[in-house]
Amino acid sequence: MNCNNNNKNKNYSRRDFLTRTSLGLGALSLGGLISPVDAYGNSNFLKLLESEKQRLPHFIPKAKRVIYLFQSGAPSQLDLFDYKPKLNEMFGEEVPKSVLGDQRLTGMSSGQNTFPIAGTLFNFKQHGESGAWMSDLMPYTSKIVDELCFIKSMYTEAINHDPAITMIQTGSELPGRPSIGSWLSYGLGTDNKNLPEFVVLITKGKSGQPIYSRLWGNGFLPSKHQGVQFRSGKDPVLYLDNPPGVSSTIREEQLNSLKKLQQINHADIGDPEILTKISNYEMAYRMQTSVPEVMNISDEPDYIFDLYGEDSKNPGTFAANCLLARKLAEKDVKFIQLYHRGWDQHSNLPRDIIKQAKETDQASAALIKDLKQRGLLEDTLVIWGGEFGRTNYSQGMLKLDNYGRDHHPRCFTIFMAGAGVKKGVTLGATDDFGYNITERPVHIHDFQATLMHLLGVDHEKLTFKFQGRRYRLTDVHGNVVKEILS
Amino acid sequence: MVSEIFEFLGSLHPLIVHLPIGFIILTLLINVVFKTRNNSVKRLITLGWFFSFISGFIASIFGWFLGDNNYYLESQINIHKWTGFAFVIITFLIWMLRALNFNLSKSFNRISNLVVFALISITGHFGGEMTHGKGYLVKSIPFLKQNKMPTVLLTEKENSLDSIYVYENLIYPVFEEKCIVCHNKKDTYGGLNMDTYDNLIKGGNNGLGISKGNPYKSLIYKRVSMSQNEAKFMPPTGTPLSFDQVAVLKWWIDNGAKLKVPLTKLRNDENIRSLVEENYQLDLREKSYIETLKLAPVDQNQLEVLDKGKYQWRFLNSEKSLLDVKFVGKKITFNDIELLLKLKEHVIWLNLSNCQLKDDMLSLISEFENLTRLRVQKNNITDKCIPYLKDIDNLKELNFYDTLITDNSFEVLTNLESLEKIFLWKSKVSTLGIEKFKSQKPKIEVITGL
Repeated sequence: MNCNNNNKNKNYSRRDFLTRTSLGLGALSLGGLISPVDAYGNSNFLKLLESEKQRLPHFIPKAKRVIYLFQSGAPSQLDLFDYKPKLNEMFGEEVPKSVLGDQRLTGMSSGQNTFPIAGTLFNFKQHGESGAWMSDLMPYTSKIVDELCFIKSMYTEAINHDPAITMIQTGSELPGRPSIGSWLSYGLGTDNKNLPEFVVLITKGKSGQPIYSRLWGNGFLPSKHQGVQFRSGKDPVLYLDNPPGVSSTIREEQLNSLKKLQQINHADIGDPEILTKISNYEMAYRMQTSVPEVMNISDEPDYIFDLYGEDSKNPGTFAANCLLARKLAEKDVKFIQLYHRGWDQHSNLPRDIIKQAKETDQASAALIKDLKQRGLLEDTLVIWGGEFGRTNYSQGMLKLDNYGRDHHPRCFTIFMAGAGVKKGVTLGATDDFGYNITERPVHIHDFQATLMHLLGVDHEKLTFKFQGRRYRLTDVHGNVVKEILS
Repeated sequence: MVSEIFEFLGSLHPLIVHLPIGFIILTLLINVVFKTRNNSVKRLITLGWFFSFISGFIASIFGWFLGDNNYYLESQINIHKWTGFAFVIITFLIWMLRALNFNLSKSFNRISNLVVFALISITGHFGGEMTHGKGYLVKSIPFLKQNKMPTVLLTEKENSLDSIYVYENLIYPVFEEKCIVCHNKKDTYGGLNMDTYDNLIKGGNNGLGISKGNPYKSLIYKRVSMSQNEAKFMPPTGTPLSFDQVAVLKWWIDNGAKLKVPLTKLRNDENIRSLVEENYQLDLREKSYIETLKLAPVDQNQLEVLDKGKYQWRFLNSEKSLLDVKFVGKKITFNDIELLLKLKEHVIWLNLSNCQLKDDMLSLISEFENLTRLRVQKNNITDKCIPYLKDIDNLKELNFYDTLITDNSFEVLTNLESLEKIFLWKSKVSTLGIEKFKSQKPKIEVITGL
């Protein structure tokens, strides 16, 4: 064999190739034999995770879809649900040090040299057979408490809005993870091919803490799983309609040609996002007819508008969005996320909360009743709640008729209704000061695990590999709250 | 003081006992391996026998002390003790014969070697059983590994949990493993026989074995759950009862210690339930009808049928055998339903709402044997369709809102045994009719709306 070094321009023969690369080939085949997955001790476990998605749903689902009425800004549990007569008795006194503890407060009230107890200005009564306590702020919801399941012992770690909302929507305080709806879209796929699996409706004209599109973002999941915002008004989905002069057939032809080009591109470089793009175009085309149909509420009878309240005729209000949520649920949209801002009442709480409650109470109750009479509540889960709670002491000056409340992650109340959840029950409790949890704490991750469970998903098994590790909605936390499962 | 010294020496028995084993095996090996028998080999062998004898002698004395402090039972010790003594005596004799230069024949040599080898093996084995528990020798052989789960649990767990009993299948096997060796019909230590339920309750010389409903007055519970340093702790040797086993025993006594408590009773107590579920890989939840259904996965080819009709569908379980199907076309035909009939046993939930369904089309619905949820709302269907439903045995939920059915349907509906919920908003039934139906069937929830 030729042993000189003049190999540069020489064509390799088969013999040369085998001789010179035998070591490399061996290494290559060794790499195939010892798969990197096997290099971990528990390779079966990892393989199991890969196959888990094929096995969805992991168990028979109770809920087919979720309507999440998110109350952004954090509604005051002490003025709405969590009745604490002690706070009224001790109105104006200092919160005892033993209750306050030494955990952090926000910069907004930590500088206060006094923490005066603010009882509530609103009357509480027990309602229904279940005897749930509700304040007068929510007369309509009070009437349906026997359909509801309250969790009074929710807690989170985040103390400010953005990390807290990001936490409850994506399972992490840091942005970048997929939203709950995206996880479900990824895991369970679509029921209705003509509409997105994950739709977002935001009450228009509200001010307060901002809402960002990353809250319904897909994070590291393929982008077809992101939430689609439906706006009120002429164009529910922006840029969905054909431009003037372009007919539906022309659009279809155009999309078909585009698809072919994209397929060539995909065959070439194999980027999965190209497939996502193709499916997004196709979805948009189908949505050209399905969206106007579902967003049209003109054929709803008057008694339905009466049920949801006067606002429901006015597109973009919370009431109108609740009505739309019901219509989307009828069309089997898997995750319908509503946002209603304006609950962040650091001052003038008594005045502002009346307005907020009025905007949401009737429509929330109406939605649950409407779903129920149609049989939809059998497989729809409705959730009402914010990102954390509010303090029992007044932020700023406490007056007999006015106070404000600061952020309070250590306890807050949410309620749920519908598929797979017990009716007319209350889980968990807080102390007499409504400050610390005394019974059955439920972390955000527990809540998320329970939500997934109701949809037939084992939250520990729905994973996605990204940056070298497998992520899940609840990351390494979360226990299903079995007590509330029916 | 003297007894303490004896006890200390006794505790050295497990250490010393390995010396004669080593010496005798070395001696026998030399015997076998060295073919030539010059004087030095002979002397070496004789020396080997001497060491075997003298170390065996010391070990047996120490063993005597150990056996004397009542730590072990006579029946456990017997074979070990006597084979041990036999070993000492025989090694002594052979050493003497060799030391006195008796001419030992080859066959005598062979036989004595075999006998001594057998003796040391037997002695060692039974000694091992005392310290490591009965069956230590075979329990880790990979191919013979026994499943710890009582067999009845294995076979029954797929079927009915009602035929598994807490005492019989969870508690008795533990007693059998840990207690009954000494507390049986023959060896009633402390007068206690745990072989039968009645005798177990009755207890032994010291009083009630089990006080129903009262674990802290039940001697058996007290003995197995007290500190392991107590002299009265049971079992005196071997592995004690595990935390889980004690917990199950306590639950059983707490709940009356009845002979026949089905396993399903455990499900009301969250703590003990999760314990048992984990240990025996059981699922004690109350199962709905569809969870007990065992069907083969739906054939992929059959699924194409669904796409030909105007159906929207999804699987309800990971085995891909149960289907939730919804008709999404504008108008349904007989043909559409007939297509679906190919999957009839798999369809669990069916939604045929708002698709101009006709009364007689429901005649086909009765063939869906496993249907539990039927939604036919928003159709102009009348009382005529209701009789078709009476053959579906497991129908739990019916949605007839916005249909033309009237009070006349209630007669058939009262006969639907498994019905739990019916939706009748915007139908033609009267308030009076509903009241009457509710009084006949108070368990059925009727949802009328607004």
